[in-house]
Amino acid sequence: MKYLPTIGIECHVQLATKTKLFSEVDNDARLKDPNSCVSPIDYGLPGMLPRLNGAAILYVIRAGLALNAQINLFSRFDRKHYYYPDLPKGYQITQLFQPLIGSGYVELPSHKRIRIEHAHLEEDAGKLSHADGYSLVDLNRAGTPLVEIVSEADMHSAAEAREYAKELWRLMTYAGVTYGDLYNGNMRFDVNISIAPEDSDKLGTRTEIKNLNSFRAVERVVEYEVKRQTKLLEKGQKVKQETRGWNDAVGETTAQRSKETAQDYRYMPDPDLPPIRLEAKTIDEQRKQMPKMPADYRTWLDGVLPNDIIEILLDYQGLMEKLSEVSVILLEQQNMLEKINATLKKLANLFSSVLLAEENTSLLNDALPSARQLIDLAEMNDRKELSSTAMKQVFLKFFDPEMRYKESLTIAKELGVMQDNDVESLAQIVDEVLAKPETQKAQADYLAGQEKVLGFLVGQVMKASHGKANPATVGEILRQKLST
Amino acid sequence: MEINQETVSHLATLSDLALEEDEAQKFEGDIEEIIKYISQLDELDTADVEPTYQVTGLENVWRVDEIRPQEVSSEELLVLTKDTEKQQIKVPRVL
Repeated sequence: MKYLPTIGIECHVQLATKTKLFSEVDNDARLKDPNSCVSPIDYGLPGMLPRLNGAAILYVIRAGLALNAQINLFSRFDRKHYYYPDLPKGYQITQLFQPLIGSGYVELPSHKRIRIEHAHLEEDAGKLSHADGYSLVDLNRAGTPLVEIVSEADMHSAAEAREYAKELWRLMTYAGVTYGDLYNGNMRFDVNISIAPEDSDKLGTRTEIKNLNSFRAVERVVEYEVKRQTKLLEKGQKVKQETRGWNDAVGETTAQRSKETAQDYRYMPDPDLPPIRLEAKTIDEQRKQMPKMPADYRTWLDGVLPNDIIEILLDYQGLMEKLSEVSVILLEQQNMLEKINATLKKLANLFSSVLLAEENTSLLNDALPSARQLIDLAEMNDRKELSSTAMKQVFLKFFDPEMRYKESLTIAKELGVMQDNDVESLAQIVDEVLAKPETQKAQADYLAGQEKVLGFLVGQVMKASHGKANPATVGEILRQKLST
Repeated sequence: MEINQETVSHLATLSDLALEEDEAQKFEGDIEEIIKYISQLDELDTADVEPTYQVTGLENVWRVDEIRPQEVSSEELLVLTKDTEKQQIKVPRVL
């Protein structure tokens, strides 16, 4: 029997605030000692009152706008109780009944829309590590603000789940909601998966795989769970509703603690935190500050660049902004649309060839070349002053700390890769080459009708010019000289 | 609502409490009494009453996003815990 998987994803996104959600403590615990970014509030000491970070609300509004979602003008906080050493208070402050963000959607590159059920603001727990016979608790992360984004179960394949996770990462980083550092757990995905016969209108029993921190892991988990659940059903067994963990090294999921039911969490309104009532103008202010989003860039570049190139470049927001800047400048200089698009294509190819071939993507997270440098470079190639190879050589120097601030022309001259298009000076070199004894036979062969010998002669001229001659121009000159 | 030994043991698990059998017996009665007392509220018709989430009437209370030095140091806080290792809080193995 053929089974159709149905997938929903919950994603915890760490907000890029300076301080924690309820205490005035450093929110960035990277490279810090354990339990060094803490306060009595994070320790959950008796009598401590949470003090809400106003910036966190703005970040969540931006997340909501990126999700094309409804921003609820009224929202409030609830307590979710469970007993675990990473949660000193014995409850997590979250939003269950009236979250900040209502329904919205994420549009995948394929244009399929994955609906967002809601998104809410909550605090993170501490970090546990396990040793032999005991566990250790680090509270640096306790109280870090998170926005939890809950999708509807709208995905039906491993590839789609991966695409969604990746698009979510782009949306959240573009909107500046998070640093999006996946390695450091800035975004963590919980994946719900069930399978059902393709013609069935009922969903199967789902399992939840928690705490995935890469797009690849999301994809592999779905592949693995679909296989595992299919095997169970084919043997006539049942899928158990449970939380499972993912072992990335081994590539399999294993059962974890049985999940509390919602009732067991004993949700109740948090009396320490007054509700939030937003004014429409607060939301409008954030909307005005929103940058261009991936969907805007896709619309803009549709038909200008191939889709696979657009998708690669979209991982780098700074790069997309740079291309827009180039296009604005070219437009101001009254260039025709066709010319602008050709330039964009040329630059996109340079960037993607650096990304793909040089496997040097980290270059693009550092300072990018200026729009002026890029435009000059493309125009020098248009005027045939730089061959395509030379253009790439100059381009790479834009990322060289010693050269990066120099003008494109200066770099090209220093590299000695400017092409000589001056017909007069080239004709002189051609004459010298034609006078050499070793080219006499080739000249005779050419005149006897062997066209391809011309390539050898062009090569000789290129050599004599130290590679700076424009081969096409040289070919022209040779043809002319030999036919007279 | 009926309270039995199963309910008591479930609540104990959720609260991570180890109860002796006689304690569990005693709590069964105690909890039942408490629930019965609170249940008097069920006699009231609350159909048109808004649930009370807050009693202060406050709204929009928040602070600026600035790091401030803490009056209590991280060392002083760590000392409050029962057992530590490598600046971490040591607890019985979970998972």
